[in-house]
This record gives sequence, C-alpha cells and structure tokens, in this order.
Amino acid sequence: MAKFMYIFRGGAFVAPGLSPTEMQEHLAKWYQWVDTFAKAGRNNLGHPLENKGRSLRGRDRVTDGPYAESKDLVTGSLVLEAASLDEATELARDCPIFEFGGSVEVRPVLENE
Amino acid sequence: MNFPVRHGARPTVVEDLFRREFAHLVAALVRLLGPSNLPLAEDVVQEALLSAMHAWQFEPPRDPKAWILQTARNRAIDVLRRERRLTALPEDDGSALEGAIASALSPEEEAASQLAMMFSICDDALSQETQVTLILRLLCGLSPAEIARAYLADTQTIDRRLHRGRTRLQELGHLQDVTAPAELLARQPSVLNALYLLFNEGYHGSDSQNPLRPAMCADAIRLAELVLESSRTSHAEAHALAALFCFDAARLPTRLDEDGVFVPLADQDRTRWDRSLIERGVVHLAQSATGTQASRWHLEAGIACEHTIAPSVRETDWQRIVDLYDALLALQPGPIVALNRALALTELRGPDAGREAIATVASDARLGGYSFYWAAAADLERRAGNVAKARSLFERAMSLAKSNAERLAYEKKLRLLAN
Repeated sequence: MAKFMYIFRGGAFVAPGLSPTEMQEHLAKWYQWVDTFAKAGRNNLGHPLENKGRSLRGRDRVTDGPYAESKDLVTGSLVLEAASLDEATELARDCPIFEFGGSVEVRPVLENE
Repeated sequence: MNFPVRHGARPTVVEDLFRREFAHLVAALVRLLGPSNLPLAEDVVQEALLSAMHAWQFEPPRDPKAWILQTARNRAIDVLRRERRLTALPEDDGSALEGAIASALSPEEEAASQLAMMFSICDDALSQETQVTLILRLLCGLSPAEIARAYLADTQTIDRRLHRGRTRLQELGHLQDVTAPAELLARQPSVLNALYLLFNEGYHGSDSQNPLRPAMCADAIRLAELVLESSRTSHAEAHALAALFCFDAARLPTRLDEDGVFVPLADQDRTRWDRSLIERGVVHLAQSATGTQASRWHLEAGIACEHTIAPSVRETDWQRIVDLYDALLALQPGPIVALNRALALTELRGPDAGREAIATVASDARLGGYSFYWAAAADLERRAGNVAKARSLFERAMSLAKSNAERLAYEKKLRLLAN
C-alpha cells in the first residue's frame, strides 16, 4: 500500500450562513466518509487547519495570512493508504467538501524506503 | 487539539447538539448583554459552531458540548474586549468581564437563560405567529430559511417577523427576570399557547409534502419540560400541556404508512406507539391534577390519554371522552370541538346519534373549508350505508386537503367505498 495526501481547499468551513442543523448534518457526512477508510484499515489521519496563520517568505519576511480567496484556502489535510493514485482519486469522489464548493487535491506521498 | 487515530468508537455528537447549543448560548449571552446585543450574540455563537464543525471534521472531541461552550466563551470575551462600547459591562477590569461571561454560560444558568428568553418572547405586544417564529429561531436554532420552509412562507416574511420581535425585545431592555413570580404568571398563558402552536406545526404542519416534523414536536416537549423544571414556572397547566404533547407524540410513528398516507386511528398499529412517551404523559397528567380548575390543556390531555392508553378503538372509554368534550365545549365553545364530540358520540351510541350531533354544527361557516369535517361527515354516511352521499363528501374533503398525506388517505377511503 502506498500513502496519499488529500489537501482540502474551501468547503463548508469557509461558507457563511450555514444553519446549526446544516452544520451538524454536514459533519455527519464527513464521519460517514472517513469511517469507510477506518473500516478498510487505511491508517487514515486527518488534520483540520485553522483559517488564519502566518506565512514566511524568507527569514525576515513574515506576514499574517494566508489571505487566499476562500475557495483556495487550505482548510485541512488527510493522509491515507491506497493501492494507486487512481484508487485514491476514486475514494476522494465521495468527499463531502464538494457540497459547499470545496476541492480536494490528491498527492502521492514520496517514500524513501 | 490533536486527532489520534482511533480504532474504537468515536465520541458521539448528540442529535441536535448544534441547534440546542445555539439556543442555549444565544439566550445566555443575551441575558447578560441585553437584547440590543442579540445580533452580536448570534454572530459569536454562529462562529463557535462553525469552528466546531471544522475542528471536528475528522473526529469530535471527548466532550463536544464543553468544547462549544469554551469556544463561545473565548470568542465572546475577544469580541467584547474589542467592542467595549457595546455593553454596560465593567470597563476597568478584564477579569470582571471574563467572570461575568463564564457565569452566564455556566451549566447552572442553562435552563434559566432559555426560560428568560421564552418568557420575553411571549410578549403581548407580539402576535402569536411572531412569538412562534422567534421561538423557532432563538430557542430551536432554526435559520430563517428553515422556518420559512416549515411555514411555506417566503424568507422575507420570516425576516420581517424576526425584525419585529427583535425590536420589541430591545424595547424591553432586558430579558424577563425569571425570579419575578407575578410577571411570570402573567406571561404563562402566552408561553403555553406558543408551545402548543409549535407542537401542532410539527404534528400536522403547513408543509404539504412533509406534514410531520417530529423534531418540532420534540422541541415543544423539551421547552415545556424546561418550564416545568423551575419551581417558579412549574404549574399544573404546564404539566397538562406536557402530558398532551407526550400522548400525541407517542403516536407519531404510526400516523403515516410507508407510502406517506395518513392512517386512521382505528388502523394504527398500537404496538408501535412510544411506550416511554406514554409513561411520561401519564406522569405529567398525574402531576397536573392539582388545583380546582381543569384548563383547556387538562381536558385535551385527558382526551389524548384515553385514546392512547386504550388497547383498541372498540375498548376505548368513549363515555369519558364524550364527557371531557362536553367540559371542553363549555370552556371553549367552537365548531371543531363540537365536531370531535360528535365523532366520539358516534363511537359511543352509533352513527345515528353522530349524524344528529354533527347536524347541529353543519351550518357553521367556519367548517366549510375544513377538510376533516367533510371527511367525518362522509364516514358517518358510509357507516349508515349511504355510499353515494359518502362518495361526494369524501371528494369534497379531498379537494380541501392540506397535504398529500391527507389527500391520499381520502383517496384510499374512496377506493374502499367502490368495493
């Protein structure tokens, strides 16, 4: 099994005006999705990222941000095991992030062994 | 906060947690900061819930409720530090602000805050529909769009009602003091009435595609039991109302069949009624039996109780139900109560007695557009063997039906008539 990283951009976490019910229903969809990985033993590990932070472009070039457009803002990542890039892509099709205009980038993790 | 890979069960997020915490936290913050800061409170809580959804994206924390509370508290402190001019809180001392917010959001104040909100909303200057709209927004955590869907109204209408309500709350200056017995007593009838309307919206609502909304019924029960939790607002009438809700809600699972058609009481599978709700209803009804006066809620709960505890339609105590309707009619004369009494009388004495009783209300113009009246009259004719008459009356009922579930139920009756 190889490792792949999903990089999540945008989605419900940067969408204004969701109702409490919509938020909870959306959350349940994420659990449903990651549960399929846990059940298949894909050693998945996700990290949600806060929307604010800092960017460094050199030792002394530190700025607040990122101030990306909300659809481009990285909102989290998840690493999991899959047989191939094709399979990892297939698994990402069911990601709930698309419900609110987010996107998933699928990247193979380079192994040194 | 980190998210270890976990192979066991994940902590559960209680159903409706987001809605309930919205209601709890907005009420708590508004009670502290005053109704003029309602928009600020709504924003703070909205943001806390949004970060909860984000942070819990892959797994919820061990104590979800505590997490939301902590986040809302920090967020409120940040916002208020920045916008001191908005509130009358102490200027000098940072810890005083933190202390005030912490105690407003403490678990001990959870019920009191929501009671204060409920009794403030049920203000005589506001129409009943505005009161219920405010309850749905502020005590049930529904968005204006969700309220609009439930009422088949447009969002602007709901926004207008909410605006009117917010303006009135601002005029009041602060939320109702939940330790002032006289004022609480004066507002009690409006509170119970608003909860009754909320429950009914869930029990046979305006949405023709989706006439049952069990979540609204559950909210009405939760809020009625909140009224009963505090010794200052607990009252025989509130117990009677809670009993009525429990008996009716117990029968929700059998109100529609698999095809979404309303099922008549006689055909409902009573083994599927919710026993625990029936027991809760019986307890509330027993606790309502104090004082000397039977209110409208006592009588309606008594009727619902008889229907719910009977093993079948045939074994129902119809005499007692007719007596209760007689008392209700004396208290609240009206064609719908009279119609229901006539139906109970039919079960007790047969279709001829029922037709005689229904004839006395037949001329009431208020029943002309009431589909249940035409369906009831049709059923009496069917039982008396007048098929042609029954058919035309069922067709009339069908043309007036409020929902598909109801229309299909009459269609089924018509099909059975043909056989």
